[in-house]
Amino acid sequence: MTVQHPLTIPARSQSARMENWSRAFYRFRQSWLSMIGLAIVILLIVAALLAPYIVPYPEHVGGVTNTAARFQPPSADAWFGTNELGQDIFSLVLVGSQVSLFSGLAVVFIAVVVGTAIGAIAGYVGGWADETLMRVTDLFLTIPSLILAMAVAAALGTGVFNMIVAISVTWWPAYARLVRGEVIGKKEEQFVVAARALGAGPLRILCRHILPNIVSPVVVKASLDMGFAILTVASLGFVGIGVKPPTPEWGTLLSTARSYMPDYWWTAVAPGMAIFLAVFAFNLLGDGLRDILDPKARR
Amino acid sequence: MLYFILRRLVLVVPILIGLTLLLFVVARLLPGDPVGLAAGPNASAETIAQLRQEFGFDQPLPIQYWTYVTGLLQGDWGTSVFTRRPVFEDILTYLPATLELVFAALLLAVVIGIPLGLLTAVYRNGALDYATRTLALGGIAMPRFFLGLLLQLAFAAWLGWLPLSGRYPFIEMPPETITGFYTIDSLLAGDFYALRVAIAHLVLPAFAMALSPLATIMRMMRASTIEVLQQDYVMTERALGLSNRLILFKYVLKNAMTSTLTVIGLYVSWLLGGTVLVETVFDWPGLGLYASQAILTQDFMPVIGVTLVIAIIYLITMLVVDLLYGVFNPKVRYA
Repeated sequence: MTVQHPLTIPARSQSARMENWSRAFYRFRQSWLSMIGLAIVILLIVAALLAPYIVPYPEHVGGVTNTAARFQPPSADAWFGTNELGQDIFSLVLVGSQVSLFSGLAVVFIAVVVGTAIGAIAGYVGGWADETLMRVTDLFLTIPSLILAMAVAAALGTGVFNMIVAISVTWWPAYARLVRGEVIGKKEEQFVVAARALGAGPLRILCRHILPNIVSPVVVKASLDMGFAILTVASLGFVGIGVKPPTPEWGTLLSTARSYMPDYWWTAVAPGMAIFLAVFAFNLLGDGLRDILDPKARR
Repeated sequence: MLYFILRRLVLVVPILIGLTLLLFVVARLLPGDPVGLAAGPNASAETIAQLRQEFGFDQPLPIQYWTYVTGLLQGDWGTSVFTRRPVFEDILTYLPATLELVFAALLLAVVIGIPLGLLTAVYRNGALDYATRTLALGGIAMPRFFLGLLLQLAFAAWLGWLPLSGRYPFIEMPPETITGFYTIDSLLAGDFYALRVAIAHLVLPAFAMALSPLATIMRMMRASTIEVLQQDYVMTERALGLSNRLILFKYVLKNAMTSTLTVIGLYVSWLLGGTVLVETVFDWPGLGLYASQAILTQDFMPVIGVTLVIAIIYLITMLVVDLLYGVFNPKVRYA
């Protein structure tokens, strides 16, 4: 019979990492607001993923109308009432969550990738590259972002993809600034000097040594931005530059409802509350993540 | 200090040159045909070509840019392809309406937000603190346009206390234009009826815009006041027997204001840039509606003009904020 010896070294490093995670999660759980945010976010994501299977009136989402049942107030049949075309508002809002959540995520993702690339180059290379890239970034920051996004979206034409591109154009500069500052802070640290001494090229130093060390502030900003990205998507829909109907989208639904407002208020309340809830939940989640990932901001 | 202001103003020039260049390039890179749209679907190729020539779109981009920039300096901000009206005159017409709205919102946010922040910091963890903090969390997440609709529903449609939309009743004459701000103009004319009407129209849109900045300013003020209250000098002042009110208003408020000031400054451009949302809800005849009309017809001159105006106001605000730091913190020196 052989005696199995425990592998001491890997086990130890593994448990230390787990301990870090569990400590972070413990701190996150301490704040009940963060937990509420997380719960609503999970609920929204599950609803968006399951929407095609649980939607009560799938035909309404495709554009089928039922004019006999226009402007029905909320009831057991139609939880949030029906709109001017007799479509079930609950079905539209449920499926609309797909566009809003997906676009929000895509905008933040593109902004993080583009902003990180530009910020990292500017911060690491320095000199004229830094000057040029940052002056352009500053110019983008002085332009009112909603107006620029509207202009770009209108010129590109309606559609989810074009809308995402238009908002991303206005969203990356903040990440470029953030990443540049962090990279400048890290590039003179000893582990970078050591990597350079070992003969590592600039790309390897950036990707393997510097960027992994600045993930936290970027993740915090991205999670705080998710809510505002969703809000911007809805804003574009609300001013009439968004996705093409019949694709349901919260801002567009709200914009249509405005024409029928005082009398048929329920047509506006459901999509409006959906926008509010999504922004609210992502803000709470972002606050919670900031508290555990960004020690400087911890209260 | 004068040198500081002058140097900052000189620095604005290259920013504006860069900005016009950037906007020109973006406008040119984007697909879309403003002239075709303006000419209508039935226009012949000849008419379109003639229009292109009239507006100078047939010129190479550097020459278009040069014409535009030299025009800017002479007060000619280009002409709208769609309405054929000069952009500068249009902006002068719509800007006061938007500024009145933005200032009213900012006033609400500051006048309510700062005292609330102070109060909740002093009575920390009390009932008021919890209530306002919960409301603030919701207030930040509330979309301006949805809040506007809800306010219209409650105060205009159901209660009937305030007008539903617009800046002044259509059937009545607004006060004579002096500044373009209806509240100030009616006050200057001594017309208190007009003042009341103007304010009644202003309340709902201003509040819809103000809630999110109000909540942020309150949270900021609360956090910085709590930080200042824990400083040693506050304890010294208490030990010396100074009254709470004196400590709070003479020493704490000033020190807590600096970080809040930055946020207030940033909100000016946030409010200006997002004014289109609230103006759409309330049919407020301002810069935002003007810009969105131009955007929908891909009419670039007005869009570039509006963007420039907002950028200039943003740069001026940043300068004012920098100067105000000195008021609250004498250690700040302008060199």
